[in-house]
Amino acid sequence: MRAWPVAALLGLAAGCAGGGLPQATQPPPAWTSRAVPEARGDFRVRADGKREAIRYKGWTGRDFGAFRTYAYDDARPEVPVTRAAMPAGVAGDPKKGRALFLSRAKGPCSGCHLIPGDDVWPAGSVGPDLSTLGDRRLPDAYLYQQIFDPRVVLPNTAMPPWGAAKIFTPEEIVHLVAFLQTLRGPAPPEKDPERNPFTRPKPPGFGDNLDPTNNPGVLVAEEAEALWSARGPAGRSCADCHEGGPARSMRGVATRYPKHVAAYRRMMSVEDFLAAHGPETTGRPLPSESAENLAMTVLVKMASNGLPVAVDLTSPPARAALARGKASFHRRVGERNHACADCHTPDKGAGKFLGGRLLGDVTDGLTRHFPTWRTSQGALWDMRKRFQWCMTPLGANMLAADAVEYAELELYLTSFDNGKPLSVPGIRH
Amino acid sequence: MADIGKVRIRVPSTIKPGDVVRVRTLVIHPMERIERDAQGKIVQKKYRYIDRVVATYLGKTVAAFDTTQSVAENPSFAFTFRATDPGVLKVVFHDTHGSTWEGTADIRFS
Repeated sequence: MRAWPVAALLGLAAGCAGGGLPQATQPPPAWTSRAVPEARGDFRVRADGKREAIRYKGWTGRDFGAFRTYAYDDARPEVPVTRAAMPAGVAGDPKKGRALFLSRAKGPCSGCHLIPGDDVWPAGSVGPDLSTLGDRRLPDAYLYQQIFDPRVVLPNTAMPPWGAAKIFTPEEIVHLVAFLQTLRGPAPPEKDPERNPFTRPKPPGFGDNLDPTNNPGVLVAEEAEALWSARGPAGRSCADCHEGGPARSMRGVATRYPKHVAAYRRMMSVEDFLAAHGPETTGRPLPSESAENLAMTVLVKMASNGLPVAVDLTSPPARAALARGKASFHRRVGERNHACADCHTPDKGAGKFLGGRLLGDVTDGLTRHFPTWRTSQGALWDMRKRFQWCMTPLGANMLAADAVEYAELELYLTSFDNGKPLSVPGIRH
Repeated sequence: MADIGKVRIRVPSTIKPGDVVRVRTLVIHPMERIERDAQGKIVQKKYRYIDRVVATYLGKTVAAFDTTQSVAENPSFAFTFRATDPGVLKVVFHDTHGSTWEGTADIRFS
């Protein structure tokens, strides 16, 4: 009995001095998804015995089960680093190589690397400009290894191990090498300055995101206002407990999310919290990624527009979650063996073009405009759907929209927004 | 679509006399699309969509639009006019069911 307070004190001291490290290794408790069926990351087995992912309408159903995901219980290693020798007896065909270089079903390599040709559109600038690579007279075997698995030479590269992940076959890589060796200078003059991602102007954006005549996302929040005062099956509405209307009662609330909610023992965004809290109080289901959840999230977040983001990063659970979120940001996942950091840190892809898309910089803060209207989709998306959308180019199976892994990743991203004003809904490509 | 017919008009915050002013308007409206039955035949009914938009300023029509279903739900219309005197800009939306909605914006000089 006498050892009790001592142990408690020791635990407290460790919690203060340890920098949250002991907790970081312990994943949070399991969470049963409260998302709509297409957002849970579930699978079905088709009649022909093939496993197919259940995803949003129009998204690929391909199962990337062979590659690791962001799930904390997925302890598989990344794609192993592989040394490879060029297969003998295969003659490289530069024409085939060029077609493979541009094939959207494969890379496309042109998403990151510029090569000459008016049909190369839109080329990206994440990787080096290869327009005159052949002039460097690099050995074929070296180029082969660079494409097969560049980590042998460049351990910190953002380039996927195309051969080791079996995206390109050895024969296809021989064709690519043959094509790259034909790239000799001088590069032809540019007819269109926007073709070259190194000289292409940055997109100007879409104007005032809070103007309903400019951003259709604003209209979504107005639909939620009816939901706010509508009684659920339990006989109560949001308005019954949160007095003064959403604009007053919710002012400043969204600036503190994602936060650790003790009642649910996990990190939660506004969306996650509504999915759990809504049905428990009003009886009305508000599953993650449902139209109601999204509309209510926008309504709650708009009440904090203009206020600085102020997420907790110092309490022990927040520090532990932040450490795990940061680890996820740098974790290599999927067929492409990419980490978020490959595209979104300034020393790698951030500020450069991936195809025609300018990659965001995590240090600018990428979260305070979510949920955001996506002009390319004609729909309002919250951050989780954006995360899930990222999983396809990574070649990784998506997790449930309300997964703890995503919530803690969201906390890490939001930590760069601390002190900057919330402006919801945003409008982006 | 509870608030069908809610009209919003956006004018620049500063206008000088003689300026050509760009106005954006938006109305909440379903703009019903043609439906087809299981056989692919068009369902015959009176589809509800906005077919005329008229903007008046100082009693004069400054813009008029004849539109069809090919315009999206919650349509947005933008136009320009020359602001000569302070007054009221009125935009009226007519739909095929005979409903009309209007919104106004004060044109003031600063």
